[in-house]
Amino acid sequence: MTIREGPHHELEFARIEPIEAELLQQISPAAEPGGDERAESRLHPKPAASEETKLLEDWEELVRPELRQLFLSSRETVETDLKALKLDRHGLGFFSIPRTHGDAWLNALNQARLVLAAKFAFTEEELSRYEPPLAFSRRDLVLLQMNFYAMVQERLIEALNRGV
Amino acid sequence: MPETAVQDKTEVSLGLPWSVVVHNDPVNLMSYVTMVFQKVFGYSRSRAERHMLEVHHHGRSVLWTGSREKAELFVQQLQGYLLLATLEKARE
Repeated sequence: MTIREGPHHELEFARIEPIEAELLQQISPAAEPGGDERAESRLHPKPAASEETKLLEDWEELVRPELRQLFLSSRETVETDLKALKLDRHGLGFFSIPRTHGDAWLNALNQARLVLAAKFAFTEEELSRYEPPLAFSRRDLVLLQMNFYAMVQERLIEALNRGV
Repeated sequence: MPETAVQDKTEVSLGLPWSVVVHNDPVNLMSYVTMVFQKVFGYSRSRAERHMLEVHHHGRSVLWTGSREKAELFVQQLQGYLLLATLEKARE
């Protein structure tokens, strides 16, 4: 898969293999905490020490709903953009997104990676491991999924920085 | 009387400078964290990278210090980008 800036400054995703297309479709579902407390608390960490009770209460009431809405909106943007994914004559996928959607994509990809990392309690050592394992467990496959999302994030950041 | 005392304490507390702190997180990419610092604080790339590396190597970095109201806004923005950000009373 390649990600580059198009002629009208849009971001073009091209040469998308079927497995990559499936992983892209899984961004939004993967970002759903699904009642997992670790994932939920990672998406919404406390903004201050526990003795700052008033601040924490106000945050819970006023800020957290806004953050939830922001995260939901980012995932919806990704879902909508992915509906434009088509196949070229080689059977590889392609689609493009407005440059203004870049932040939503980075946000949704980050949500997915953070939720997966929290749900599977990956260690820092595992997250920085590059060698493929000898046998793939579900945990290894999730790590691959997270690394793929990290790669997409890196390419998006590069493409966005080039256009500054 | 107790009410006045509480109010005075709150006013003093609000008047203190507050710091915006970002904590280490092995999931967030270095390039992403740098980009977010540039966007939220308007820092140069080199200054943003310096803070990112401080977070990475020392576990935390103080990104900004000033009024509580503004510090809260920065923390909200940083958490909107999914960084582990908190605000705390600035150290003397």
